[in-house]
Amino acid sequence: MRLRLLTPFLRTMRNRFFPAGTVPVKSLAVGLFGLLVCLVLYLVSLKVVGYFHRQSELGVILSLKIFQMAWIIMFAMLIFSCMVTSVSTLFLSRDNEIIVAAPVTPAEIYFMRYLTTTFYTAWMMVVFSLPVFGAYGRVFQAGIFYWPLLIICLAATALIASGIGMALTVVLVRFFPARQTKDIIFYLSLCFGIFIYIIFRLLRPEDLVNPDKYAQFVEYLSAISQPAGPYVPAAWSANLLSIYLLDRQIDWLLLALLAVGAPSLFFIGEWLMQQFFLTGYTRSQESFGGFRPFTRRSRYRPGAAGWIFRKESKTFLRDSAEWSQLFMIAALVVVYLYSFKALPVERSPMQTEYVTNLISFLNVGMTGFIITSLAGRFVFPAVGAETPAFWLIHSSPLSINRFLLYKFLFYLAPFTLLSLLLVVTSDALLAISGPMWWFSVIASLVICWTVVGMAVGFGAHYADFKAENRAAALGGMGALLFLFTAMSVVFLIIAGGALPMYHFMRHWIAGREIHLAHRAALLAWLAGSLLLGGLSVGFFWRKGCRSLTG
Amino acid sequence: MTENLQRPEETIALEVAGLTKRFGSYTAVAEVSFRVGRGEIFGFLGPNGAGKTTTIKMLAGLLRPDNGDITICGHRMAADPAACKKLTAYIPDRPYLYEKLTGYEFLQFVASLYSLPRQQFDRINHYLQLFDLLDWQHHLIECYSHGMKQKIIMTAAFMLDCPLIVVDEPMVGLDPKSARIVKELLKNHARQGNSIFLSTHSLEIAEELCDRIGIIVHGELRSLGTLESLRREARLENSGLEEIFLELTGADELTAIIAALKGENR
Repeated sequence: MRLRLLTPFLRTMRNRFFPAGTVPVKSLAVGLFGLLVCLVLYLVSLKVVGYFHRQSELGVILSLKIFQMAWIIMFAMLIFSCMVTSVSTLFLSRDNEIIVAAPVTPAEIYFMRYLTTTFYTAWMMVVFSLPVFGAYGRVFQAGIFYWPLLIICLAATALIASGIGMALTVVLVRFFPARQTKDIIFYLSLCFGIFIYIIFRLLRPEDLVNPDKYAQFVEYLSAISQPAGPYVPAAWSANLLSIYLLDRQIDWLLLALLAVGAPSLFFIGEWLMQQFFLTGYTRSQESFGGFRPFTRRSRYRPGAAGWIFRKESKTFLRDSAEWSQLFMIAALVVVYLYSFKALPVERSPMQTEYVTNLISFLNVGMTGFIITSLAGRFVFPAVGAETPAFWLIHSSPLSINRFLLYKFLFYLAPFTLLSLLLVVTSDALLAISGPMWWFSVIASLVICWTVVGMAVGFGAHYADFKAENRAAALGGMGALLFLFTAMSVVFLIIAGGALPMYHFMRHWIAGREIHLAHRAALLAWLAGSLLLGGLSVGFFWRKGCRSLTG
Repeated sequence: MTENLQRPEETIALEVAGLTKRFGSYTAVAEVSFRVGRGEIFGFLGPNGAGKTTTIKMLAGLLRPDNGDITICGHRMAADPAACKKLTAYIPDRPYLYEKLTGYEFLQFVASLYSLPRQQFDRINHYLQLFDLLDWQHHLIECYSHGMKQKIIMTAAFMLDCPLIVVDEPMVGLDPKSARIVKELLKNHARQGNSIFLSTHSLEIAEELCDRIGIIVHGELRSLGTLESLRREARLENSGLEEIFLELTGADELTAIIAALKGENR
């Protein structure tokens, strides 16, 4: 009986990946790509873990500490991710109206949501952590039971994390409306992510290759990364596997704890669901802030551009899932710039001026990649974010071309500012001035405008008006294609400037005369970059316009 | 705002000639032709999946036809879509709106898309009052009910005061009072020399409002005319629109189904 509620999920998966009457070429391609990513992860992990393992006792200890930390971080991420997802799946799901109205018990609903939420939140982490943890097995030449133990540990950790996350969610929604709970958990998980990111950066992983600080670092790391005691289920998995990796012994107590933990938590969650679900579901249907006037009356001024900008900014600022991402960007910027401050350029065997100029040049590419990924997150989904309300724009006298132009202009200013902030501040930290400063500013502007224009064009071509939110649009094929194409264009622009800039800077730093040919080469690069950028934007923009006009 | 686009000598508000739309090998709309005169309310009826919404989407400029022409107040949609759209207010059957805007902001946004002058925009108060939305205008649309969303779209459409209103299922989700107001507003709009193209499943509404009715079946325009001419065509001189509709849409099997249901109830 419990399985009947899983039918829509299973059928949807089947129809999505194996459509009837066709060869699932797309699914096979995605599967192959996933396997390729796993293989690369495995090989890279093999190299890194192997490197540590070869560094005598200390290396073995260090690699196992990292192993244990990885399990605990993964576990915490799974709990947060499960809590955010389960607010949606348990309380805000559109199919709730059908399921809750049907003669189905909350326990049945919980069983279905437990399995589907675990799948949604954990599949990626499980699939991509397998090759990493698998590499440990290979390096430590673990016995034959390592693989089944690893799979059991991964499954049990994911199920326990879901059990904890979902039980907490059911209780929280009992006291707060679901949308508010979702926001609270979302901010908490965001803070957790930023915390982990900043801590990792402040640990200065580059010191791992600095022999002077190696012992100090290991001491520090081993001090902070002690397994979190017997009460953390992820530590059960980490310790069980660590013991097996070192001594080929299976700790049956830990295995039993893992086996019993998941079902126990499930039954606790199920009981909580029976107690609190209907109250929580009732609260979840309350509108968040809906019963108060939102803004004061502002005067109407004709002009579509102004109103598209206002609508865009209001929609962004009133959606907490959107604006809270700004914290993440702020953390990214801080850590990015901190990296420049922490760079040990003085230890380089080369002349400092050469190194800083080289870093400044490479920094243009790095900034380009950051701008590309942020454009993928914010600009690419901007057309789809019109939701099915796009009929209004489409049926209005405003042409699609002009509509896209306004979207482009709206995003251009913040992206230009961010791009300049990253480049100019890092140049200042590296004490860069002269031609390299100008090169980095001009190149980053060309890249930024090209990428934002391409994101609008791609976004229009692959617009998904039914996506739940902007983040959901990132999972599609269009987003991947955009990232790949835009990064290729960024690479071409940077690579094209490498040789002319190298010759130019060599003469400049040595204080030699700069020939006309050097200047001409740089101008040719600039013209070529502008042409490449313009053509790329024009091509995808036209494609986008054509798709939207149908 | 639309005065300069309207041609006073033009007596036809909407002319559709040979309109065809195919989705792959399936023809959703086939060679549909009709005219809607100034001041006329034209009803567009048909069973589910007959091609009504596809036709309407083409009239609103949301779908590009494969063949045929749409002319609005003398402007061809294919040649000058912006002019046609400026002359047309479209009311869809499902009220998809920007949930994070307030009702008032939404109206400002729509007005800006049509470059509406401020004096014309200020008339929204009249419609907001009619639809009982004055107290809700500064609330986010996400907390509106289905009917309130439909009413804010209606307000936007009447605010634009276009010579042609294309409306798909006008009364879905409206309470009886609002439905009555919409009917009166539509009649009033037509009396001022404007035209209304109205698609509906409600035969009572079509019977009450429409000057002429077109019936589309399997993508083809099966019948076109006044209620009287449709009665004659169906050879049902003293019948209501429901019987005429069933007769003209070929729902012969319905008689058998009704008989069977009656048998079950006995």
